[in-house]
Amino acid sequence: MSLRRQGKTLFTAIMAFVASAVVVQLWLLTVSVEALLSGTYKTLVPAAAGSTILLLINAGLLRYVFRFDRDAPGE
Amino acid sequence: MTSEDEGCRGCKATAPPKWRQDFPIEWEGDHYVTRREMVKFLTLGSLLLVVANWATALASKFLHRGSHAERVIGSAATLEQSGSMLFRYPTNEDPCIAVRTPEGKLVAYSQVCTHLSCAVVYDKAKNGLFCPCHHGLFNLEGQPVAGPPTRPLPRVQLVQRGDQIIATGLEAR
Repeated sequence: MSLRRQGKTLFTAIMAFVASAVVVQLWLLTVSVEALLSGTYKTLVPAAAGSTILLLINAGLLRYVFRFDRDAPGE
Repeated sequence: MTSEDEGCRGCKATAPPKWRQDFPIEWEGDHYVTRREMVKFLTLGSLLLVVANWATALASKFLHRGSHAERVIGSAATLEQSGSMLFRYPTNEDPCIAVRTPEGKLVAYSQVCTHLSCAVVYDKAKNGLFCPCHHGLFNLEGQPVAGPPTRPLPRVQLVQRGDQIIATGLEAR
């Protein structure tokens, strides 16, 4: 399998993971807004922290994609 | 008409056609670029969601519903007669209910059910606050014990001065 095809498979997996993480972040935001409106403030900061961790993972994966593009030889 | 408008006519034989200049990505590479662009787009969305989440957390500091304004809500004699008493706190649009428990303790909660905002009423037989809409039941600690509600009722802090019962704060839980 060529490096480019490997990259395509890899990026599909990364895209699926990042998309799943964004869906979880959307759920966290929904929970936060519901908690805010109901006056239950305990969950707001943990939800925001969890969302931030997911962003860091997503950013790390995006960085990996850029590095892969930079290091992969053109075909 | 310029040579560029004519496409390949007038160009060198080795030069790529105009459509190739407009669409320079191969079909194989098209998927590759699309995935990469999609990951970038999703990560940007992820950043926006984090900003929205922290904005929500920050908003709670400004929209804090806890109130420390004192307000006379009624007399102890009225409460002793009926076992429960309805009042409004902290504003006239916030219905609350005060109850004298069988143990003699004075408690008060928001009357708004945490399920779908129906008004809860004191049920002596069940020894709790009953929501008639969906048969939710809260105990006299304000905790949900039956039916659809999952969150406790906000508690109103009370003090008794002589015959007067005074609300001093609302505790969101």
